[in-house]
Amino acid sequence: MHPAFSVIGFTVASGAGYGLFILLVLAEVYGFADIDVPVALSAGLLALVLISGGLLSSTLHLANPKQAWRAFFRFKTSWLSREGVFALVFYPLALLYLIGVYVNDAQANGLVAFVGLSAVVIALATVFSTGMIYGCLKTIRQWNTALTPTNYIVLALATGSVLLVLILAFAGKDSKTMAGIAIALLALGAMTKAIYYFWIRTVIGPTINTATGFTQGKVRLLDTGHTAGTFLTREFSYQAQHSLLTQLRIVVFALGFVLPIALLAFMILAWSSGWVALVGVFAMFAGITAERWLFFAEARHVVNLYHGAQHT
Amino acid sequence: MKALPEFEKRSQQEVKATTCYMCACRCGIKVTVENNNIRYIQGNRDHPINKGVLCAKGNAGIMKQNSPAKLHAPLLRKAGTERGAGEFEVISMDRALDILEARLRHIRSTDPLKLAYFTGRDQMQALTGFWASQFGTLNWAAHGGFCSVNMAAAGLYTTGYAFWEFGDPDWDNTKYFMLWGVADDHASNPIKIGLEKLKRNGGKFVAINPARTGYQAIADEWVGIRPGTDAMLALSMLHVLLKNDQFDWEFLIRYTNAAYLVVHTPGQIGHGLLLRDEAGNPLVWDQVKGMALDGTQPNISPALFFEGEVQGQPVKSVMVLIAEAYLDEQYSPAKASEICGVPAEQIERLALEMAHIAFKESIEVDVPEGWIDWAGRKHYKFIGRPVSMHAMRGISAHSNGFQTCRAIHFLQIMLGTVDVPGGHLAKPPYPKHIPPAVKPAKDCAPNTPLRTPPLGFPTSPEDLVLDENGKPKRIDKAYSWDAPLSNHGLMHMVISNAVKGDPYYIDTLMIFMANMAWNSSMNTAETQQMLVEKHDNGEYKIPFIVVSDAYHSEMVNFADLIIPDTTYLERWDTISMLDRPISEPHAACDAIRQPIIKPEREVMPWQEVQVELGLRLGFPALTNPDGSRKYKDYQDFIINWEREPGIGFLAGWRLDEEGNEVPLRGKPNPKQWERYAEEGAFFAYHLPENTRYYRHANKDYLELAKSAGWVGSTKQIVIELYSETQQRFKLAGQGLYAGPMPTEAHHKERLSQYFNPLPFYYKPLEQCRIDEDEYPFYAVNQRPMFMYHSWDSQNAWLRQICAQNYLYMNRQRGESLGLADLSWVWVESHHGKIRVQLKLIEGCQADTVWTWNAIAKQAGAWGLKAGANENTKGFLMNHLISELLPQQNDALDGVTNSDPITGQAAWYDLKVKIYPAAETGTWPLFSTIKPLPHAQESPDLLRYQTHAAVNVVRSMEDVLERGSVHDGNRGTSGSKTV
Amino acid sequence: MKLGLVVDLDVCVGCHACAVSCKQWNTSGMSGALTDYNPYGEDPSGVWFNRVRSYEVGDYPQNKTINFPMSCMHCEQADCVDVCPTGASYKRVEDGIVLIDQDKCMGCNYCSWACPYGARELDRSTGTMKKCTLCLDRIYDERLEEVDRQPSCVITCPAHARHFGDFDDPDSNVSQLVRERGGYQLMPELGYSPTNRYLPPRVTRLIPTEDVSKKSLISSVKEWVNKMVER
Ligand SMILES: Nc1nc2c(c(=O)[nH]1)N[C@H]1C(S)=C(S)[C@@H](COP(=O)(O)OP(=O)(O)OC[C@H]3O[C@@H](n4cnc5c(=O)[nH]c(N)nc54)[C@H](O)[C@@H]3O)O[C@H]1N2
Ligand SMILES: Nc1nc2c(c(=O)[nH]1)N[C@H]1C(S)=C(S)[C@@H](COP(=O)(O)OP(=O)(O)OC[C@H]3O[C@@H](n4cnc5c(=O)[nH]c(N)nc54)[C@H](O)[C@@H]3O)O[C@H]1N2
Ligand code: SF4
Ligand code: SF4
Ligand code: SF4
Ligand code: SF4
Ligand code: SF4
Ligand SMILES: [Mo]
Repeated sequence: MHPAFSVIGFTVASGAGYGLFILLVLAEVYGFADIDVPVALSAGLLALVLISGGLLSSTLHLANPKQAWRAFFRFKTSWLSREGVFALVFYPLALLYLIGVYVNDAQANGLVAFVGLSAVVIALATVFSTGMIYGCLKTIRQWNTALTPTNYIVLALATGSVLLVLILAFAGKDSKTMAGIAIALLALGAMTKAIYYFWIRTVIGPTINTATGFTQGKVRLLDTGHTAGTFLTREFSYQAQHSLLTQLRIVVFALGFVLPIALLAFMILAWSSGWVALVGVFAMFAGITAERWLFFAEARHVVNLYHGAQHT
Repeated sequence: MKALPEFEKRSQQEVKATTCYMCACRCGIKVTVENNNIRYIQGNRDHPINKGVLCAKGNAGIMKQNSPAKLHAPLLRKAGTERGAGEFEVISMDRALDILEARLRHIRSTDPLKLAYFTGRDQMQALTGFWASQFGTLNWAAHGGFCSVNMAAAGLYTTGYAFWEFGDPDWDNTKYFMLWGVADDHASNPIKIGLEKLKRNGGKFVAINPARTGYQAIADEWVGIRPGTDAMLALSMLHVLLKNDQFDWEFLIRYTNAAYLVVHTPGQIGHGLLLRDEAGNPLVWDQVKGMALDGTQPNISPALFFEGEVQGQPVKSVMVLIAEAYLDEQYSPAKASEICGVPAEQIERLALEMAHIAFKESIEVDVPEGWIDWAGRKHYKFIGRPVSMHAMRGISAHSNGFQTCRAIHFLQIMLGTVDVPGGHLAKPPYPKHIPPAVKPAKDCAPNTPLRTPPLGFPTSPEDLVLDENGKPKRIDKAYSWDAPLSNHGLMHMVISNAVKGDPYYIDTLMIFMANMAWNSSMNTAETQQMLVEKHDNGEYKIPFIVVSDAYHSEMVNFADLIIPDTTYLERWDTISMLDRPISEPHAACDAIRQPIIKPEREVMPWQEVQVELGLRLGFPALTNPDGSRKYKDYQDFIINWEREPGIGFLAGWRLDEEGNEVPLRGKPNPKQWERYAEEGAFFAYHLPENTRYYRHANKDYLELAKSAGWVGSTKQIVIELYSETQQRFKLAGQGLYAGPMPTEAHHKERLSQYFNPLPFYYKPLEQCRIDEDEYPFYAVNQRPMFMYHSWDSQNAWLRQICAQNYLYMNRQRGESLGLADLSWVWVESHHGKIRVQLKLIEGCQADTVWTWNAIAKQAGAWGLKAGANENTKGFLMNHLISELLPQQNDALDGVTNSDPITGQAAWYDLKVKIYPAAETGTWPLFSTIKPLPHAQESPDLLRYQTHAAVNVVRSMEDVLERGSVHDGNRGTSGSKTV
Repeated sequence: MKLGLVVDLDVCVGCHACAVSCKQWNTSGMSGALTDYNPYGEDPSGVWFNRVRSYEVGDYPQNKTINFPMSCMHCEQADCVDVCPTGASYKRVEDGIVLIDQDKCMGCNYCSWACPYGARELDRSTGTMKKCTLCLDRIYDERLEEVDRQPSCVITCPAHARHFGDFDDPDSNVSQLVRERGGYQLMPELGYSPTNRYLPPRVTRLIPTEDVSKKSLISSVKEWVNKMVER
């Protein structure tokens, strides 16, 4: 699939935003980090900025944005619609929660905690929906797996947790517990990603033979019936160099997981500095952006079979 | 179901019938027009050719009508500018006609040969030929010479009709169909309709073609032959038929000259001619009487095989000669296989399969009222041999194409499948007597019409168009020793000859509807040079070039005067039975075009230009003795002009003495155009059942044909296996002819080598004059089904399908040469080289490469913008093909690269070598043609529609309420359209 | 009703008539105009509802060429409809035709991702997704003659390789063809249950030759005995 930067930006940013918000609420409600009002508000605001920026960027790829408001109507069947509805519902909850935190002087209990935890559920549902937007597509075997929503959720939480570490560290708070959680989430992310990469290596599903119905003998494309590209080739025929894909996977693990984990460990064991966390955040976003880019670039839509691919 | 909205405002639409012109197939169309724009073009279900279907091109008519390359006004090359520089001034139509009239008047009154008038693939050759005859120039021809005259000639000299558009397989009854060298062909839709019918009826389809695309894709058996070797394949199958005694004795004896006796006196004058009685009738050996008798009589029992002495002359029957020729080991499947690359077993099997179908699965069509044969005998059945064939340019575009095509006809004749049920059927006005009784005009004089048409059918050297020194009289050297039976002229030689002044210089070259500066010229780059070549005194070697075109083609750029034509949807036109027929085998048909769209440009149909010029120049057929006009205009002329009493351009709705409408023959009907327009723009006369087969020997048919003016006599048309015409020319070459004979050695050699009374295989000429090891690949073209020659690249829809052509090569062969798929390669012939992009495929014979024809375009032409793929990546094979034979410093250097018998351009004799190129992009590149003065920039975005779209709205209720389509609640939760 | 098409691969010659016919009908039809980009320049392209591809099966010389037209299959399990967030995409209850309401589509491309058959193309100038309508604006138009109430691509096909009809009706032409010729679905394993079916190439009958091959073959003229045939 063609890796559209608006979609990559959207999923990475909003995922991190939701993750950050989720961890903020959980940390506050369950008290495993020292959250005061400035920390809560800056984390909450950062989360909302990331989420909103992501959502805005996702509308960039709409060809007819004036009808975008209709996207909420098919909640019954469309994960895209569900994502939109959840995203919409999230805002009032998130704002209410932040107001509650502010008014309550960072005491997340009672109603505030309820609102916060509701926002967490909705945020998780949103991220799950985002994952399912891709995960439900039978046309793309690299996506059509439970690993897709799992990855989306785990990476959202992992990126969010690192952001929270960053904020805690700059606020001069103790970030060790959160760093530990982040390490765990990153490790989980690395693991699910590793499983994913291993899993998509196995070619399954339709082939050019089942696509055409000619199952005896080699089938080769003779002519696509058009000289220049079409909507289909532009949208679906993207194919990156194999070497680039391998290199990027190294980037994903090195920058996305290993380096942040190492830096977080360093923060826990040696020197808990916001600057170290910042380096970790940059590394992580570079890595996760690469991950997201690969997520699209490695996805092979079955329509490619009709354009000559032997399998997807 | 809720009512759907009204999608189309019918009250604002009008449907009119006319005839398609996106190619030369001439299908019937119904055009829906909305506000002078085309809403929709649909096939006319009642039409004989297409029966309602339409091809890709026909469906794209809207985008041809809307082409940005349409010409808008007459153009004159600006004084003081160079020809080809693209500097034109817009002039009025009156002025354009005045200029042309003055020029033509001078030529006509001094030396009519100074006008060379060549017309392309139009379907009004009857009109342009008539015009040339009236003008008085011999120098007229249509496109057949570079197209497929080999097919026409071979057929008309053998069976009295031909492949091409003169006959059709009996699709309803055939059980075995063999297709030789055809990609899309003129019978574009009919072949597709027919192939489906064949397959639905369980028939077998065998395709002989080095490439497997298009029709060959659906063939039951694909025979990937080496180009140029089909005669070998056909004659080897004939060998198998003979060896197994599988041929139709009755058919041969009754309907062909197989039993005729041939004088066998090698080395003497008269050798190889038929033995005739005093009255000139050919003789056969009668088995009952034990003597030679007039072989044209009925009720005799000719011996098919006879060898002996008659009238003191050693004679052999034709069949003996046939058996001797083709039983020869050189035609055995094993030997043939070495040449044509088809496995010997396959050759043998195919021949026997045909024999099985012809003789073991023969069919009978009952004729309750009976049919009467040429001799007056009544029969109640038509016996059918349901094997049929069709062949076209894969056969004709070779310098051995005439003999090859005859070889294919031989197979048909041996199997008895000529104009019989299930076989290959003639289309009225064919069959004709063999050959048709028209001789080419030989003489011309100022202000005098020709006595006969410029083109005709020679039967002996006496009929050639030569001056007293034996030199060609025609500018294209048609009917000279170079190409004696060039029935369609040699249009591809005109420019080259005229520029060399060989045989003479001309004054004006008038070209109608042919892109001679691009794809219909061999050797395009040099042709463009020739078009601008000057004498030392600065005068152009071709002083004046007039082009009638409807679009901004490459040729237009080289014109001095451009007469802009209408498009096919803007004019009156006739598709006449005097021309190439659109008949069905069982119906005589013709058609018209009528204006559908009003042109908003200063354009004039060439038809009208023709008639107007003729009137102005005072052509005798168009004017009264006092010089006044006989006809008002083109429409008036078409209705009222008669070739002979009762026969005019249109055969439908003529009038009898009482003024009733009658078909085929009758007085002019002033309402004829209206009647056509009312009746779907075509006329069909369905032949009575008893005249549908065996028409070469069917008395009822022949009488009908004579009364309709299709044939000159009701005598049996005897199929000519043995061609005396061929033998006469061969004798002339051998110095054994009692009449005109060539004087130059190479002509003698040509005639004695290539003319032969029985078809045979010889290696194509180009291939005999190059080092075949150096140029190992055969290089041929195919017509893409979705493009017509050069003119469809201006079509915004069709060019999306193909804007770039590739060189297709067999994958295994390519890989063995280290050539990668999609890499750029050099392709080099004896004549030139080009750089092209390669595609490796399976469906290509291993020694052959091919490409789609005429995709490449010169930059700036056809309304195409800079960077158009046709220009930057497409290529023409024409650059590799020379109009002359490969140069060897001998007398043949100046001889046309054509079939030595018919002058058919030998496009597909080309051989090439192929090697990797370091650079990419097509080469050679041509300069960019300047936009014409009236041209507007072609748009970057096209949103064609004749009315705003009427959307079907899904109700909000449905959007909100409906569950998943997976829920299985289809039909219950209910989508509602409002 | 379950309306759809049958495409006969045994006779499709790959002429593109159906594709162009679809283009000309639909550009002024209910989802028109079908925009063309760079129509006279480099890399011309545009919106089409029907595209014809060609494949080669097997290696030379045992190769076969297959021409393969494809348009919307009007799937029974049309995920393209389910994924559409706006409700612009829907499957008609009465006949199973999958349509896009041009007034509701926001151009997110999502449905095209869900379509395995490449049947949906975005029109960049309206920003909306477009696809085969099964010529809804022809097939129910009672002002057309009955024979003309068929999709444009079907009426035009010179090889009669395209058939239109109701798959719910076991006696319809399409149901019969599917039964008799083994009509199949493309990529059935994806579970979309496409309505359109493809007819595989027919198996060629074997033509006997023993009855026309002689045991002792003729090798010269002398071996023939003339037959008495009256002219
Ligand atoms: N769509 C479309 N239709 C057209 C035209 C067009 O431009 N486009 N042009 C029209 C014109 S002017 C003409 S003349 C006709 C020509 O119609 P066709 O006869 O179909 O002409 P070509 O496309 O030249 O096809 C020649 C075929 O013969 C094969 N071939 C080449 N050499 C040999 C050989 O030696 N032996 C055999 N057995 N096969 C060989 C080629 O692979 C190719 O398939 O088409 C007419 N119809
Ligand atoms: N390499 C190679 N070259 C070939 C062939 C091949 O197979 N290989 N095939 C040859 C054959 S068979 C043929 S027939 C020729 C065909 O070659 P051409 O006869 O040159 O055919 P087109 O390119 O279609 O050119 C016809 C011209 O007529 C113009 N025209 C179109 N409509 C109208 C109209 O309504 N009125 C007027 N006045 N003009 C109109 C077009 O704009 C165009 O300029 O090509 C030959 N050239
Ligand atoms: S074959 Fe196609 S282009 Fe040619 S006349 Fe028929 S419909 Fe028109
Ligand atoms: S029109 Fe018919 S034969 Fe031509 S490509 Fe379409 S389905 Fe095939
Ligand atoms: S073919 Fe594609 S667009 Fe058509 S119904 Fe099936 S999934 Fe939807
Ligand atoms: S592009 Fe239009 S029809 Fe397709 S999913 Fe998006 S809104 Fe629905
Ligand atoms: S049914 Fe209509 S819309 Fe669909 S492919 Fe055929 S012509 Fe196009
Ligand atoms: Mo031609």
